[in-house]
Amino acid sequence: MFDRRLLRNFDWLLLILVCTIVAVSLLIITSTTINITGDPLYFAKRQLIRFAVGFVAMLFILSIDYTYFFRLAPIMYLAIVAMLVAVLFIGSKGGGAQRWIDLGFFELQPSEFAKLGIIISLARLLSAQEGNFEDMSSAIPAFFHVALPMGLVFLQPDLGTSLVFTVILFGMLYMAGLRVQHLLTYAGIGLAIGAPALWLLLKDYQKKRLIIFINPYLDPLNDGYQIIQSLIAVGSGGLQGKGLFAPGTQNALNFLLEQHTDFVFSAYAEATGFVGSVILILLYTFLILRILRLAFLAKDTFGMLVCIGVAVMMTFHILVNIGMTIGIMPVTGIPLPFMSYGGSSLMMNMMAIGVVLNIGMRRQKLMF
Amino acid sequence: MSKSLQKRLRVFTFAVVFVALLLTARLAWLQIYKYDHYLVQAENNRLRDLPITATRGEIRDRNGISLATNRPGFSVSLLDLDRKKAAEVIDYLSQTLGIEKEEIQEKILKQQYKRFAPIRIANDVSPEIVAQLEERAMDLPGVIIETQPVREYPLQTLAAHVLGYVGVIRDYQYEAMKAEGYRFTDIIGQAGLEATYEQYLRGQDGILRVETDRFGNRVRVLERTEPVAGSDLILTLDARLQDIAERALAQVIADLREKGNTQASRGAVVALDPNSGGILAIASYPAFNPNTFFQDYNEIQADPDKPEVNKAIQGTYPVGSTFKLVGAMAALEEGVITGNSRVTCLGVKSFFGRDRRRCYAGTAHGSLNVVGALQKSCNIFFYEMGYRLGIERLAAYAKDFGFGQVTGLTDLRGEVAGVIDSKERRSNFMPGDVLTATIGQGHAITPLQLANYAAIFANGGTHYRPYLVDKAVNSQGKVVYEAKPEVLKTLPYDEKNWEIVRTGMEAVTEIGGTGSVLRTLPVKVAGKTGSAQVSPGKISHSLFVGYAPAEKPEVALAVIVENGGLGGDGGVPVAKLIFEEYFAPQEEEA
Repeated sequence: MFDRRLLRNFDWLLLILVCTIVAVSLLIITSTTINITGDPLYFAKRQLIRFAVGFVAMLFILSIDYTYFFRLAPIMYLAIVAMLVAVLFIGSKGGGAQRWIDLGFFELQPSEFAKLGIIISLARLLSAQEGNFEDMSSAIPAFFHVALPMGLVFLQPDLGTSLVFTVILFGMLYMAGLRVQHLLTYAGIGLAIGAPALWLLLKDYQKKRLIIFINPYLDPLNDGYQIIQSLIAVGSGGLQGKGLFAPGTQNALNFLLEQHTDFVFSAYAEATGFVGSVILILLYTFLILRILRLAFLAKDTFGMLVCIGVAVMMTFHILVNIGMTIGIMPVTGIPLPFMSYGGSSLMMNMMAIGVVLNIGMRRQKLMF
Repeated sequence: MSKSLQKRLRVFTFAVVFVALLLTARLAWLQIYKYDHYLVQAENNRLRDLPITATRGEIRDRNGISLATNRPGFSVSLLDLDRKKAAEVIDYLSQTLGIEKEEIQEKILKQQYKRFAPIRIANDVSPEIVAQLEERAMDLPGVIIETQPVREYPLQTLAAHVLGYVGVIRDYQYEAMKAEGYRFTDIIGQAGLEATYEQYLRGQDGILRVETDRFGNRVRVLERTEPVAGSDLILTLDARLQDIAERALAQVIADLREKGNTQASRGAVVALDPNSGGILAIASYPAFNPNTFFQDYNEIQADPDKPEVNKAIQGTYPVGSTFKLVGAMAALEEGVITGNSRVTCLGVKSFFGRDRRRCYAGTAHGSLNVVGALQKSCNIFFYEMGYRLGIERLAAYAKDFGFGQVTGLTDLRGEVAGVIDSKERRSNFMPGDVLTATIGQGHAITPLQLANYAAIFANGGTHYRPYLVDKAVNSQGKVVYEAKPEVLKTLPYDEKNWEIVRTGMEAVTEIGGTGSVLRTLPVKVAGKTGSAQVSPGKISHSLFVGYAPAEKPEVALAVIVENGGLGGDGGVPVAKLIFEEYFAPQEEEA
């Protein structure tokens, strides 16, 4: 049943890029967590296990023809909504938000998996509507489709992830064929209504983060602290960096906070300098260009849209996360794909890569 | 794939490349262009220079007796606190050290702009509290205990006004001194020699450069620069004479009070080496204990006798008959009289027509030459001298002897100049006022000026700059400062006239003289007693100036017992106790 031609069309380079970034992440996670527990590899090992689990999940996804996901999409959507509702009631709290479901062995973050679920289900919805995006109103079903899970995520509250949904929605609508002027109109309406409404709905700490990002020195000892320390870490890394396990770094002395999760890039840039930072950005760029290539090659609109969704999602994550650590984006809890310590994000990204590889692998209509 | 879709896909490609370029550009800005800026900030984050307080130089008397030294102690300081634990740590410190929370917070706030240096919260903390803090060190991130030499004055109140005291640098001092490397929690000399010789005594603090983490925990020591102890001061002061003088003054004042003179409560003694200007003793009564100056501060401030004031250099007094030496010298030098000229005292005499003056208690001294007049302290004789000289000439001689101007002591701050009463000083100076001026009323003179005046008679006309610090020796044993006797002025008077006045001063301590009780001492004393009238209802100040041994002077002395009565009631007894003990045959040293 497993056709050789599938392997021929398999995008090895994409997988190698992913594995390279994960390898780098294991190094930097070790460097940032070396003194937290007695075992210097405690966190790296855990992340490696998650990678392994994610890899298996990816292989599993590869084994199923992705057109099957087309059929499964409505169930996925319902499952996602159910999980997002559940997290509001039984979720465990952390950092002022309620984002995780404790499974005992694993802290599941439904909003992470929701991203992939939304991409797939939205791709089905948009591909079903194929060629029918002349009217502005044609986008309305898609808006409703995304609005429900997005609203649930916003309630956790998780502004960053709800923004990810919005960006995925706009990116996929664009590729589905919605006119640019219509998209811009929606964006304008969204901003005109959304921005003031958002300001009223946002929690104080979220507002403060948004303000502080503009000038962290307004509050250098509290909310601006993280940003300032991150800038210092990145800047003092210089051209060549201080070395992965060098003593006396911002990372080693704990001036950086969340240096293995959201701010992992700060520790990485400090350790490897401008050279290392640019290498990582190049790896990401190739990774995403590779996904866009598969979008181009996909045999159907559904597959193309899924690839676009994944590419948009990852690009946005990279921009917002790295942007946050270098002071050009506000602080949100958006992890850096394949780099940040955290199981849900890594596994979801592995699964997303699995789906994309699957689409690339099955790009030719097979003749029996 | 359709053309339009391909176009749209290309837009995505451009967007991805744009994001990559944007991030790269920003990283180049941070990591290359602003690298130096952030590197400095990173270093400031992790490096802490902990000062190692230098030991303050000791102060010793001319014979090596230690007057100010140091004992080991501990101070508690704060490095920048983890903000989450700050309140808890401050609470704990406030309770343990007994310091107001607000005070700690104020100190932290003050240091905010320079938050990479430790903030000293408490000085000289007891070993019990240190042990307690060290036990809890893990819960108290950012709290550091430093060894700190603590100033100690082993002889307690002895020479308190000379030594002064040390205390935490005040805001205005810090502003003025921070350029010299002072920190706002430093302890500096606040009075006396501690203040004037701060530069020599302070030494150079060492530095312990450590790396700390975000919580202020020390991660490793990177560098250690040893402190350099301050220089020791060797004084001209003789601790033995100082002690004798202080006890004598206290004894006589106690005796006076016991006899019912409740006004006697203050006094001063200055002893100079007439051959160099070196100060042998400065006593100001009452004194304070420099070890506990700040604990006793309220008490000291409330004391009407102002223990913190050094009356020897800052108290100004009318000096009564001790001033008559000026009139005697002026009259001889100006040729108004010779040693043999006589004036008859009938106990009362009129000047300027109607200005009728009396001798003390109306005593008629009969016919006196200048020696006799000094011996008896005859007012009529000196009124006559004043009358003949006139105020201009009298004031000129007073100036020669150093009145109305500082004697030139720079080792202590705040010597006052005092005033000579004269026409120059006030326009309403009446002709008759010259008479009063001749017997020492109306002037304002410090005990140091009086001692200098006695020294000038003792050495025959040389005004040396009075000084206290003989030399400063640094921690390597090198002399870094050395005082030499400095002649400020030489009075070109006739040697014969010096002889005549000195004979008069010697006569004072002989039978029939106002200081005749001093005749029994082991050495011959020359001097002049005085009793200066003060405001109505107040008992006169009692004074004595003089030197000993008369034939080869070693000590020039001035004594004032405020409201002590006649010269013989206060000034003379103090001088007697001092000379008696100081010149007592010394036991042979083993």
